[in-house]
Amino acid sequence: MPIKSGGFSRKSKTSSEVPSSSMADIAFLLLIFFMVSTVFQKDRDRPIEWPEAEATQKIDEKIKNILNIWVERNGDIFINDRPYAMTDVATTIGPLYAASDRALVISIRSDREVRYSTIDLLQQQLVAAGVMRVVFATELEQRMARERR
Amino acid sequence: MAVMGKKKSKVSDEVPSSSMADIAFLLLIFFLVTTTFPKDAGLAIVLPEQGEDVQVSQRNILHIVIQPSGIVDVKRGESPQVQQVSPQDIESIWRQDVAANENLIAAVKTHPDAPYRFMVDVLDALHTAGAERISLQILEG
Repeated sequence: MPIKSGGFSRKSKTSSEVPSSSMADIAFLLLIFFMVSTVFQKDRDRPIEWPEAEATQKIDEKIKNILNIWVERNGDIFINDRPYAMTDVATTIGPLYAASDRALVISIRSDREVRYSTIDLLQQQLVAAGVMRVVFATELEQRMARERR
Repeated sequence: MAVMGKKKSKVSDEVPSSSMADIAFLLLIFFLVTTTFPKDAGLAIVLPEQGEDVQVSQRNILHIVIQPSGIVDVKRGESPQVQQVSPQDIESIWRQDVAANENLIAAVKTHPDAPYRFMVDVLDALHTAGAERISLQILEG
């Protein structure tokens, strides 16, 4: 009995196309991998009460160019989750500011009840470090809330 | 013709799962777009360089003295007259005075014991009024 077509032209049952149904799974896998492996260089929030200001504006700068200085109610200063003495601020900020090519913006995140003498000393330290751009971090105050007060 | 009734319906009775990934991506993109990171906002100032002392005529200075109680004393140049106002009133005072003298500089002097928020209130009022020449000082003596 002759074999039809010599037995070679039989179609393979395996599809010749790349399976596309699992493409979404691969995309999700990559997404989750990058989400997990991304590290945000961000310090943790300290417990402070924010001062409020109506003229609050967004800082027009990349997150990596913003350095937060936290001042707690009792006057303790924290930079990158570590406490610093007031006299060490200039020597700490100075090298960071030079490394950033003078693009660093200092965000002073101070509790609303901190004595002004602390803020003034901090400003003197920043001037000594050569910092130019400083932001007093505030929360946006609604005009309605102010009128009720 | 009696066979007609036995014909299988071509509509599948399963929920289509091929578009599930599209729905997931749609939700993902929606939340990516609507998420805002708060609190990267504030009142921007530019600090002077070290040793940079500028002599300013007394006529061009608006003295704003912040007391620990939150009361603000406003004194214009050399005039001994002192006006006691609340931080919010600084806005209208600046608008009036800068219209009369466009070289005006706001010298904000805060008492060492005054809470930070009163300084922020005054700075807020000055920013709202569009002031750009602001000097932040501490009250001495």
